[in-house]
Amino acid sequence: MNQFTFEGKQKTVLGLFILLGLVCMGLTYLTDDELHTRFWSNFLHNTVFFTGIAFVSTFVMAAFTSAYAGWHTIFRRIWEAYSLFLIVGLGLLMVLIGGVWLHYHHLYHWTDVTALQPYVNDAGVYSDVIKEGFKENPNYDVVLGGKSSFLNKYWYTFGTIITVGVWYLFAKRLRSLSLSEDENGDTSYSHHKKIKFVSAVFLPIAAFSSAAMIWQWVMSLDAHWYSTMFAWYATASWFVAALALTILMIIYLKSKGYLEELTGEHIHDLGKYMFAFSVFWTYLWFSQYMLIWYANNGEETVYFHTRMRQYPVLFYGNLIMNFALPFLILMRNETKRKFGTVGFTAALVFFAHWFDFFQMIKPSARINAEHAMHAHHSAGGHDHEAGGHAVDAGHQFLMGFDFPGFLDIGTFLGFAALFVFFAFSRMAQASLIPKNDPYLGESLHHHV
Amino acid sequence: MSAVVSPIREPLIEGGKSYHQITEDLVGPTEKVPGFSWILCMAISLGLFTLGIVSIFWTIFFGIGTWDLNRTIGWGWDITNFVWWIGIGHAGTLISAILLLFRQKWRTGVNRAAEAMTIFAVMCAGLFPVIHMGRVWLAFFIFPYPNTRGPLWVNFNSPLLWDVFAISTYFTVSLLFWYTGLVPDFATVRDRASGIRKKIYSFLSFGWTGSAKHWQRWESLSLVLAGLATPLVLSVHTIVSFDFATSVIPGWHTTIFPPYFVAGAIFSGFAMVLTLMIITRKALNLEEYITLQHVESMNKVILATGSIVGVAYLTELFISWYSGYIYEQFAFYNRAAGIYWWSYFGMMFCNVISPQFFWSKKLRRNITFTFFMSIFINIGMWFERFVIIATTLARDYLPSSWSYYTPTWVEMGIYIGTFGLFFVLYLLFSRVAPVVAVAEVKSILKTAGDQYVGANATHTHHDRQERATHIND
Repeated sequence: MNQFTFEGKQKTVLGLFILLGLVCMGLTYLTDDELHTRFWSNFLHNTVFFTGIAFVSTFVMAAFTSAYAGWHTIFRRIWEAYSLFLIVGLGLLMVLIGGVWLHYHHLYHWTDVTALQPYVNDAGVYSDVIKEGFKENPNYDVVLGGKSSFLNKYWYTFGTIITVGVWYLFAKRLRSLSLSEDENGDTSYSHHKKIKFVSAVFLPIAAFSSAAMIWQWVMSLDAHWYSTMFAWYATASWFVAALALTILMIIYLKSKGYLEELTGEHIHDLGKYMFAFSVFWTYLWFSQYMLIWYANNGEETVYFHTRMRQYPVLFYGNLIMNFALPFLILMRNETKRKFGTVGFTAALVFFAHWFDFFQMIKPSARINAEHAMHAHHSAGGHDHEAGGHAVDAGHQFLMGFDFPGFLDIGTFLGFAALFVFFAFSRMAQASLIPKNDPYLGESLHHHV
Repeated sequence: MSAVVSPIREPLIEGGKSYHQITEDLVGPTEKVPGFSWILCMAISLGLFTLGIVSIFWTIFFGIGTWDLNRTIGWGWDITNFVWWIGIGHAGTLISAILLLFRQKWRTGVNRAAEAMTIFAVMCAGLFPVIHMGRVWLAFFIFPYPNTRGPLWVNFNSPLLWDVFAISTYFTVSLLFWYTGLVPDFATVRDRASGIRKKIYSFLSFGWTGSAKHWQRWESLSLVLAGLATPLVLSVHTIVSFDFATSVIPGWHTTIFPPYFVAGAIFSGFAMVLTLMIITRKALNLEEYITLQHVESMNKVILATGSIVGVAYLTELFISWYSGYIYEQFAFYNRAAGIYWWSYFGMMFCNVISPQFFWSKKLRRNITFTFFMSIFINIGMWFERFVIIATTLARDYLPSSWSYYTPTWVEMGIYIGTFGLFFVLYLLFSRVAPVVAVAEVKSILKTAGDQYVGANATHTHHDRQERATHIND
């Protein structure tokens, strides 16, 4: 049985979860602070997380094809389905972009136009050079001003639309070639050659553009802070999450009687990937943390200082769930071959990487919001010292920032259901196992 | 390893080899008297090595003052060469460990020579920090052990000390890995030898009989060592990158350094493997074992790692602007447009731009082009380290101490000498051990020999029928 049918019951359940997500988002919006920071940061968080999984699915398909990998062919359709979610991700990102233009949210400090230029006149016109009638802008933030040719709404808007649009076009092309191979593939393998070509072209484009997008979407939440590692770190997080979600999907499909030919051998290799890339993620985490800790430069340490002192559950929980547990559980060979154990670890790691993005986004979003509200209340009294970080002593526990509360988990489930709903609908369009793929034989007889 | 092979995979062993023929072809070179070209190469290498010994002696006798290092530029060619050689030493263990874990069959054609190269490169690398200490007779101070030197104890906070541990561990595990692979092959050589040779190879092969139990243990040891060596491949260059990145020097202190150094190391390591293998396959007639398919795979690794390095260069450059930190911005401006602009240009051109030619399949499979590219990349990667070290140090925070550095003949002599050492060892290796792993090549014959797979396969293959009849529901 390799033709997936998207049953009514599945639709109902997923629909209910989507509804739950919407209700949670509505409740969050109503119970939020005046800037609706929790609502908007949840929106950003889940959008980035699931769009990232779709992106990484495209990337890993392209990378595997370019590396002549064969074993994954049997479940390649899952990645194809995931990759197409990019179009939904773009839609969600458009909401965030709209929010930037219409000032619906204050997620990013750099959207504060009053802080970007050093001079201002009485009419509220800003300028880079001193002119007649202009005086010094008390709100001026020299660091944001310096970055404003990259951190601005035009880059955010058109960078996102073009980049995610291009990613989607590649995902769509790979998909249509793969579907066409099912119908018209023959032993000349001309479809596969085309897939290989498209994949190879996608790789460098993806490698360059994804970094810029991560800087825009996530790193710029801490607009003063920077780390060259950040983009690779976030991509590694996406990658492990995508692997985990793939494993969960495979286990679900098998439980429904699909993918009979997929055996413990494939799960073993997926388990190895999850193990290896959990360690790789940790390697990147450690390299970034250690170098910043060692150099002890206040402009850089502020990022970790905030998280370690004020958000210890996020900071240490992230390491325990994303490194210690998968490392210890998946160490032995046998555990990587058991569907139950691998499935449990995948569920854990999937949540944990969502938690990792929570950890990246929430503390920064909160600081920006507090900063914006503070500036608003004290009528233009831009506090230079704050520069994007709050004082230790004043830190108070805030559900949805210090820890994901029910509303945040509900939102997460809603987004996850949307993702799965979309993936199911795409999986139903074609055979779950590609036909006429030159590596199909290898994949069906995979043996580690 | 799956016994079913995709119809589009190309064979990795050509010439319809039988197991016996493989033994003949690969063990043969160790049984012959070296030819004239080998003797000539050996003589040249020994000459270069002698120059190196003289230069090292000169350094130790007269002191580090014979180098052009100064108060501003405390690291020059010595550390550049150290990092360069260490980087080259990365491909071997990557091929033997990581590609083993990834079940890449093409590794069998090149792993032996690449591992040998790794070991020799690490030896060359290790030389530099030791003589850079100045008083080499105190080199044992780097070992942490209870001693009578009072408060003079190693500094565990220093990445330089971590380097000592990382590199010595890496060397040990790489050596073990290499030797483990050699044991069955030494036994093959032994079984064909007589007299004193038989005695020597008998000793070297540890009484290997080829029993199932031996193979089983050999396989598990290989896997364990691969598991250990994989984090080591990453750790060595990570820690070398820490030597720079833990500082607060603009241009050095950047968080992307660890993975970017590792990618660069693999990049340069593969380039050196190609340089050596292209010569070796020609000299020892191994074209049927190190095929164009192997060369192409390695060129792909080069393209991938070169592009990763390219992404990292541009990330660094962009973030230096983005940081808004004027010293960081100056450091990169100075690299690209300062006194050492030519080295930055050389680095960018050789490492980022030139590998892009490998997008063309035709060029990836062109031996002459690949050979020149491999040299180019090694030059580029040398420039990268020079850019990072000399360019950065030459322009520090205090303009009054700005300086310029050019190597003296002694420094050049030591560098050239390490080439001598490297090639002497490699030439010796190519005479005493099979340069292609005999047992491992045999292990892939039935799934990668050209009589079994590819366009000219003569043995019937069940894969095609399999594909046609399988799951069409």
